[in-house]
Amino acid sequence: MLRLILTRLASAIPTLLAVVALSFLLMRLAPGGPFDAERALDPKILANLRRIYHLDLPLPAQFGYYLWSLLHGDLGPSTHWRDFSVNDLFAKALPISVQLGVEAIALALVVGITLGITGAVWRRGPAAFGVAALSTFGLAVPIFVVAPLLQVAFGLTLRWLPVGGWADGAPSHQILPVLTLALPQIAIVARLTQAAMRDALAAPHIRTLRAFGLPAWHINAHALRGALLPVLSYLGPAAAALLTGSIVVETIFGIPGIGRYFVDGALSRDYTLVMATVVIVGAMVVVFNLLVDIAYGLVDPRVRYD
Amino acid sequence: MSAESHTVWGALRRDRGGIASLAVLALIALACLFGPMLSPHPYDRVFPDYVLTPASLAAHPTPSERDESVVTLAMRMHASVHLDMRSDGLVAVVTDDKPIDIRVLRALGRSGVLQPVDAPAVAGDGRRLEQPVTLKSEHFLFGTDANGRDLLTRVLIAGRLSLAVGVLASAVALGIGVVYGAIAGYLGGRTDALMMRAVDIIYALPFIFFVIVLVVLFGRTLVLIFVAIGAVEWLDMARIVRGQTLSLKRREYVLAAQALGASDRAILTRHIVPNMSGPIIAYLGLLVPRVILAESFLSFLGLGVQEPLTSWGILIADGARNVQSALHLLVFPALLLAITLIAATQLGEALRRAADAGRT
Repeated sequence: MLRLILTRLASAIPTLLAVVALSFLLMRLAPGGPFDAERALDPKILANLRRIYHLDLPLPAQFGYYLWSLLHGDLGPSTHWRDFSVNDLFAKALPISVQLGVEAIALALVVGITLGITGAVWRRGPAAFGVAALSTFGLAVPIFVVAPLLQVAFGLTLRWLPVGGWADGAPSHQILPVLTLALPQIAIVARLTQAAMRDALAAPHIRTLRAFGLPAWHINAHALRGALLPVLSYLGPAAAALLTGSIVVETIFGIPGIGRYFVDGALSRDYTLVMATVVIVGAMVVVFNLLVDIAYGLVDPRVRYD
Repeated sequence: MSAESHTVWGALRRDRGGIASLAVLALIALACLFGPMLSPHPYDRVFPDYVLTPASLAAHPTPSERDESVVTLAMRMHASVHLDMRSDGLVAVVTDDKPIDIRVLRALGRSGVLQPVDAPAVAGDGRRLEQPVTLKSEHFLFGTDANGRDLLTRVLIAGRLSLAVGVLASAVALGIGVVYGAIAGYLGGRTDALMMRAVDIIYALPFIFFVIVLVVLFGRTLVLIFVAIGAVEWLDMARIVRGQTLSLKRREYVLAAQALGASDRAILTRHIVPNMSGPIIAYLGLLVPRVILAESFLSFLGLGVQEPLTSWGILIADGARNVQSALHLLVFPALLLAITLIAATQLGEALRRAADAGRT
């Protein structure tokens, strides 16, 4: 088990390094800079500015400098919001995005697994139909269509929920964004659970349990343990999907999370802000995959001794 | 076409769902290709009299639209105007308490709802002009957008771009994936391990972020958009191709080619890659809808192509902004996107079934 964790950790570090290097290079290759404005700055002022932000150094030195401060937990100053450091911006925005994501994945797991199990146990019941319908819907209707439709339905027509804004995390402001983020994930989790559960219910050891005459709920509980493995391994990609989805959801619902900083930052050539987003998102995905791997090892002995 | 792809098409022909999805896709593609040419309204023509008209089968102008336009007309003519229905047709009557310059009638010709008939205006006592006119008749099946442009034509024009990006970006992904996967699988050993490890690493990242960085930083050209999407969607293709190559390279005919002294390149291009066209085609079917979705995602964020070009994602973004006043702006592009995605995915599933059937 320790070996598994160590090998995963060993591969996570070069991954992160590759992400940092790649995004650093991409940013610097792009035309335009953070101090481009309608009116050109005085060359002396520009030189001063560039010196303060260490943009006058040669590229490898800049990269080294960036890595060094990154190791110290310093994401650098924002060149666009000049009164703030990127750490300040993220300290406010990241908890909001994480909260939304965690709530969405929790909702997706609870609803998706329930639906999947029901659909697998009663093959022709309404749940199986629900899984099929939801899968098609989740596939064909992207969240940037779902979000405005929900806004119209619950915000403008029924007037049950606010259309947007965050209001310091008031529960009523969270319902629609979390629902929007969770819907496609519910569809995927439900389909995965249903398929795996059907396979598990047909497995020999379950047949044996049936032959022993155990009650149905007991048999299902046994089958579920094996059926949850695919769902577990889907959690890694799900984290990535939620982060991508948060860009859209935060834009549509006007939520001050990190998703919006990403697009804004890239548009204003805010090198440090975009880098920080990519690094943090990359780190979160890598860490999440690591956790999933470890959890997998705990649940499935075959992985542990591989 | 290799024998393998023949069996795939053969199996697909017997798959009703697959044929139906293929038909739907073909219909959408044809409509997008030729629809804008057949439409009486060019996609960039502005109808100032019909802004945000809801979708309907009825002809425009409706009576209320007609009256509204007459009010605008009167303001432009600095005179009072009303329409008079006579036995021999519609007549626009212009009156004023000052003598009227006959040139004001030119405004009639520029109206969006009225069409002056080729008959001379009858001047009354100088304070009254009568011009026979007919009502124009336009149909906006999907309604119009906030600039008064025909949404049906725009949805079709947008579909051209979305479908083109879907196909081209998938082709880019296909190219990179096949070359990468075939080389990794064929060379094997440490090269293979290293190359696939790189794929694993990239796979772990939310790569749409990199597409966004690429597109934002290097401009929003059409070429860059599909290259960028293709450049991040090749990973699955590389894995599939590598797996296939691993199993194919042990076959007798490959060994025979090696014994005959064929070069690695020739073996790959003539013996290995053509023989896995089945799984490749099947995966391609599932890749295209993903790419279309990625493009509309980018466009939705305002990072896609720019006016006057348009795509479903841009129209959906437009609809999302106007969702309160005009739901049809969101519904129709989203509907077309949804139908395309469902049909393309069903076709992909059918192709996969066909490829599986061909193998057994």
